[in-house]
Amino acid sequence: MANFGAKILNNSVSSLQAQQAAIATISNNIANVNTPGYVRRQAQLETRSQGGGNGLDVGSGVQVGDVQRIADNFLESLMQGAQGTKSQEQVKNDYLTRVESLFALDGSQVTIGSALNDFYSAMNQVALSPANLELRSNLIQRGQDLASVINNTYNTVAQVQTELDARLGDEIGTVNSLTAQIADLNTKVAQREASGATAGDERDKRDVLLNQLAEKISFQKVETDNGSVNIFLENGFALVNGSTSRSLSVTTNPSFQTAGVPPSLGGGALSYVVYDYGTTGAPSHLDLTPYLKSGSGTIGGILQVRGYNSVNNTSAFSADGPLVAVASRVEALARQLLTNVNSTYLGSDEDGNAANGHQPSSADLNGTVPNAYGLFGTSLHTSSALDVDGDGRPEISDLTSASLGRDNFASILQFKVATPSNFAAARDADTTAGSTVFPKGDGANAQALAALRTQTFTFSTGSYSATATMEDQYNETVSYIGNAKSSAALNLKVAEANYTTAANHRDEVSGVSLDEEFTGLIKFQKAYQASARMIKVAQDLLDQVTGLL
Amino acid sequence: MTRISENQAQRRLVENTIEKKRQVNQYSNEISSGYKVINPGDSNVSGTIARYRQSLDKIESYTTTITTTKSLLEFQDDVMNQMNDLTVRAKEIAAQAASETNGTTARAQLAAEVFQIRDHVVSLANSQYQGRYIYHGANDDTPAYNQLTYANPSTGEANEKWQWDNTLGSTNTRTVNLTDNLSVKVNTPGNSLFDGTIQALEKLGRSLSGYTTGGADSPYTFPAQFSTQTQDIKAQIDALDVAREQTIIPERVDIGGRLRRLETAESLLTLTKNTAEEVLNRLQNTDETESASNLAQAQTALQASYTVTARVLRLSILDYI
Repeated sequence: MANFGAKILNNSVSSLQAQQAAIATISNNIANVNTPGYVRRQAQLETRSQGGGNGLDVGSGVQVGDVQRIADNFLESLMQGAQGTKSQEQVKNDYLTRVESLFALDGSQVTIGSALNDFYSAMNQVALSPANLELRSNLIQRGQDLASVINNTYNTVAQVQTELDARLGDEIGTVNSLTAQIADLNTKVAQREASGATAGDERDKRDVLLNQLAEKISFQKVETDNGSVNIFLENGFALVNGSTSRSLSVTTNPSFQTAGVPPSLGGGALSYVVYDYGTTGAPSHLDLTPYLKSGSGTIGGILQVRGYNSVNNTSAFSADGPLVAVASRVEALARQLLTNVNSTYLGSDEDGNAANGHQPSSADLNGTVPNAYGLFGTSLHTSSALDVDGDGRPEISDLTSASLGRDNFASILQFKVATPSNFAAARDADTTAGSTVFPKGDGANAQALAALRTQTFTFSTGSYSATATMEDQYNETVSYIGNAKSSAALNLKVAEANYTTAANHRDEVSGVSLDEEFTGLIKFQKAYQASARMIKVAQDLLDQVTGLL
Repeated sequence: MTRISENQAQRRLVENTIEKKRQVNQYSNEISSGYKVINPGDSNVSGTIARYRQSLDKIESYTTTITTTKSLLEFQDDVMNQMNDLTVRAKEIAAQAASETNGTTARAQLAAEVFQIRDHVVSLANSQYQGRYIYHGANDDTPAYNQLTYANPSTGEANEKWQWDNTLGSTNTRTVNLTDNLSVKVNTPGNSLFDGTIQALEKLGRSLSGYTTGGADSPYTFPAQFSTQTQDIKAQIDALDVAREQTIIPERVDIGGRLRRLETAESLLTLTKNTAEEVLNRLQNTDETESASNLAQAQTALQASYTVTARVLRLSILDYI
């Protein structure tokens, strides 16, 4: 016959151990209530079976079968995806906010729009009273303002692009460190779980790292049989494979670009994210930039705003993205000032003989004709260098010809007239070819320049082109950046809401609830007390028997 | 059953509170700045807002131009009025002198008055507006009429001869843009306005003083040429009429027309300005009533949110165990 007394003792002892284990699990949950990424544990109690024996089976007590991590991989992935989109939109929103403030609408600062208006108004005043030095001086001030606000706007946009490029390098560094740590944790998880244990802490840490990685890039993950997580980019490139990780690098000189790298707006170069196979045979670099750009995360956001140029090209304006689009518009305006405004300023070619060079038919208060570069110039144009083809007129083809060696002029635009009397407001009053007379009080040239305000021009830089007046072209730019920014802001709102929902879902399953833990605590405490009482009962029973002897 | 974990509860409370605080911030900004659209991204019609703001700026500068142009044209109108009065007065003198009851002595006495009128007309032709000789085209830094001399007499007023300075550019006219598609001429070359009158007055004065007005430039011989003198005087009456009717009056009408165009342009600009302001008011400016009531609402919500947060976070099962 079975010894029930011993059974009672055994069962009670098993219960004491099991309840204690459950309480210990609760204590760990409570300790980690605020730990990021912590997944609550649950001690799984199960009946103990000792087998053997015959006769009545009253059961063999209780044991802790497993301490389970209450995690849902699907919800974790959902949250990681939402996190990626959120940080991607956050980056876009942050950087576009800086750009849009250059086009403020509240009149509190000088914008290209207000500077254009002031410039043309000053020009109209000079046309009305050409010999008035005060008005001329005002015009020069407004011209300088216009040039400098164009410089500032372009340079700030270019600066944002440069900052994004630098941040790209930092972020890739973080990604490399994260993938290395994940690979390391993969090894630890595999080792611990090979012996049958659950590597809960390592898995928690790895989840935190995966969340951090999701903030940077979008990726696919696959968990293998040994508990490792393999990470792939969208194109199948493995970032982490078991215990090894592949480190990405950022370069402005990739081996696959043979015909020159695309320059940045600021005159530097846009960098590529590559994996270096380290082979000697070209190309040893694998271009991952387009895949990262089409993904989410901080890096996706950075690349989308910064722009990427997939073709071999020598122009900064052939890249995509909102920064390049805004810079193209500002540059197109600068080119109009350098070409059409300058041509008007120089006056028409009265000789009708372009081969002899253009004869300026305008002059200043002293009857001196302006220099061949005209009203607007750049720091490169100190003499007649603006006119490369020698036809006497500054044209877009002169600006973009290779001899100048640069493709943006907005950053170096200058207003070339510094002395009020040197502004050429007069036109030639003599109709005889080769002979010129410039009356001092003539404002025909200023009048012609003021009339440009309502004239329609064809603007073109890179892939951007438009036909409008200067002021309308500026309005279109405001509209463009406004739409880009407001859609980024809207996307950010949506992404934040999605992230909150996903994080709430995840916490609903995996987060620690103190209410739940404390009621559990009471439950297990009670069971512990009851089991302890059972030992007393067993003792009493034994005492009864011993008392008979 | 839906579990609510600690993090979840806390996240919800924090996010709700932050959102309420953001709203309070936004509405108070709208009220203090006066704009609900400051940066292009704040509105989906920012291009339109930019266009209307631009047209307001433009209207302001055009209005300044119109004011300046108006006073310039009014000055010229005044000059033409004086010219009209002077030619009328000169004609009266000529008519009086033409009567043969007036002998050479009486005619010579009238000459002084005619020369005074001529000097007045010359000073009008050489009048300056803001330091510029407005009747001298693009050469407005020099007088329009210069003084030369006749051979006879060798001194005195009858010796003076005023001639239009015809340097290149002197007949240039200047136009100014009043609005995007309206421009007006702001000056008229002096020779077309004053040549006829000055020459008629000069000849009249010389005839009355006893000098021929033809090419010979010599004294009349009296009494043989008394009737020639009378004819010369009568000829200048016609010349004065022609000058008045063909230049002075048309110019006055023209200036009047231009002034009316200025006024039309000005009222059109005011109309456009009102429209632009109204549109901007709707698109960009803060509706203070709306923002204030939104602010009050958001403030209440924020307070409620604080209360709820504090209450919920204070709750603990530990207090009951």
